[in-house]
Amino acid sequence: MSSAQIEIQLIASLVAISCAIPGTFLVLRKMAMISDAISHSILPGIVIGFFITQDLNSPLLILLAAITGIITVILVEYIQKTGLVKEDTAIGLVFPILFSIGVILIAKNANDVHLDVDAVLLGELAFAPFDRLLISGIDIGPKSLWVIGFILLITIGLLFAFFKELKVSTFDPGLAASLGFSPAIIHYGLMTVSSVTTVGAFDAVGAILVVALMIAPAATAYLLTTDLKRMLIYAIGFGVLSAITGYWLAHYLDASIAGSITTVLGLVFLMVYLFAPNKGVIAVLYREKQQRTEVSLLTFLLHLKNHNEESERHVNHLNEHINWQKVRSKSVLDLALKNNMIQLDDNIVSLTEKGDEFTSQAIDYIITNEDAQIEDMKDDFFLFRG
Amino acid sequence: MSKKIAVQIDDLTVAYNYKPVLWDIDLEIPEGVLMAIVGPNGAGKSTLIKSVLGILKPIAGSVSIYGKPYEKQRSLVAYVPQKGSVDWDFPTTALDVVMMGTYGSLGWIKRPTQKEKKAALEALEKVGMLPFKNRQISQLSGGQQQRIFLARALVQNASIYFMDEPFQGVDASTEIAIINILKALRKAGKTVIVVHHDLQTVPEYFDWVTFLNVKKIATGPVKDIFNDDNLTKTYGINYKVSIQE
Ligand SMILES: Nc1ncnc2c1ncn2[C@@H]1O[C@H](COP(=O)(O)OP(=O)(O)OP(=O)(O)O)[C@@H](O)[C@H]1O
Ligand SMILES: [Mg+2]
Repeated sequence: MSSAQIEIQLIASLVAISCAIPGTFLVLRKMAMISDAISHSILPGIVIGFFITQDLNSPLLILLAAITGIITVILVEYIQKTGLVKEDTAIGLVFPILFSIGVILIAKNANDVHLDVDAVLLGELAFAPFDRLLISGIDIGPKSLWVIGFILLITIGLLFAFFKELKVSTFDPGLAASLGFSPAIIHYGLMTVSSVTTVGAFDAVGAILVVALMIAPAATAYLLTTDLKRMLIYAIGFGVLSAITGYWLAHYLDASIAGSITTVLGLVFLMVYLFAPNKGVIAVLYREKQQRTEVSLLTFLLHLKNHNEESERHVNHLNEHINWQKVRSKSVLDLALKNNMIQLDDNIVSLTEKGDEFTSQAIDYIITNEDAQIEDMKDDFFLFRG
Repeated sequence: MSKKIAVQIDDLTVAYNYKPVLWDIDLEIPEGVLMAIVGPNGAGKSTLIKSVLGILKPIAGSVSIYGKPYEKQRSLVAYVPQKGSVDWDFPTTALDVVMMGTYGSLGWIKRPTQKEKKAALEALEKVGMLPFKNRQISQLSGGQQQRIFLARALVQNASIYFMDEPFQGVDASTEIAIINILKALRKAGKTVIVVHHDLQTVPEYFDWVTFLNVKKIATGPVKDIFNDDNLTKTYGINYKVSIQE
């Protein structure tokens, strides 16, 4: 690997981490769309900043663009507060307007501005290593690495300091307000971090990848865990993984890096969406099937418990009595046998001791619905898992 | 006997989008009562509580807790929001939600320690939810979620408790468990204010009641003012509750 390649991957990874952190909270606050709005509407801020500073990495430019991001949020909320339109409509109204102001500003000054709309949307990670930061003539690395590294440090610092405030105000803004943690302050803090991250990252990776890196890893992580800290860690992991995989994909396909990373992000999400252990589509379908089988099993066991007469318990007639098709009866019978719930003597089915006890317990549960009592049963019996 | 006033509300008017939903409310809640707030859906019951707790900004009027503004008295007040007001799919556990009750006393930045965790576990124990402490909150039944919210308020160790429909969607045994906890709070000298929908149980559970429907209709001891006249004024229809003596 050349040092340029390493630098590109490093920048992409740092961007991924800086995006995943605010992204996790945006996803939990159901505000994914707002990151889209911010990433587009900061354009006029960037353009004006660029006119003034002539430098895409200047702190003043980042500040101006971040302010545009906050203005976007305020405008969206203001329009929403009038009660005339919903939030998504408000977002859809605000950001195209701001974005097109940016586009017009660029077009009007196309001659003397080294900035084009393509670059804003897609960025050019491949060129990032060429823009070096020199301090008294000494090369200390790519500028965008320093910019995003600095933003990441601040983001991590804020996350550690205000983790509990972020958590409570995201979960229960009413409680947060009553405890004195102003949800407005936390909300605008998060919006500021999102805006600054977007501005800092977009030069390297473009607006679309910024949005993808904020939302996709967090959405993926959400499917895999029930713990906020883990969700953050997973989101960071998925972001970095996709950034590096995407880089090499682009390398071999000779394609756009930002495009490849976005594709990998989408693929990773799709895989997790399908295969996640609890919330994944396949797991959900499997669980439903499993529950159907278990309800059948229980019905079957109950039938055995309620009927002593042998005619009701003959293997060949079971399907008639419980009114099931042969295949279903067979699979339920097998399941019961496998779990030692029943025994077969001469084709007459009867409950074993274990089967009898299990059936009584299950009836108890269904009647009382007392969760605490069957806490330990839950692990080996699907039916009771909510 | 004149009791101390725990909560005093003067000329309170609250609006959403400039449309007032509470008009000129005057209300005094004496210390140590177990009070029901009753009124139809949309009467502004939740809004009243949120305005007292500084969650909403009123357009007029003032609120004081033991004579001082709410901002100075936060530590004296605990809050159980309406259950539907939060996202139960949030990635967190029962214990963690209860711990949130300790955040107020911690203040900004400081993190909960073993001490806070111990308090949260005790509160879970009180509401009978200790076996569920590590359960993801979406995996709890409605009644269990309500108990978790109650535990979170208990851990705040306050003097005044505001609860928005703590009996919503709970079964009979949970309802009894909750009301026993509320009565224990009153016995310990706390003031408990509960938004309540089941009019039948008002006389049995509460000693104080406020009728609310955009305006305050009446407030006072249940035995004096819980009658068909006030119910009719509040609910608009001719209301008859048969109260067994
Ligand atoms: N965020 C909001 N924006 C606009 N209007 C609101 C908002 N919240 C409540 N309202 C309106 O304010 C009025 C009072 O609402 P509130 O939630 O206080 O009623 P409530 O008495 O608690 O009703 P419920 O018994 O249904 O909980 C209702 O008409 C409601 O539609
Ligand atoms: Mg309400």
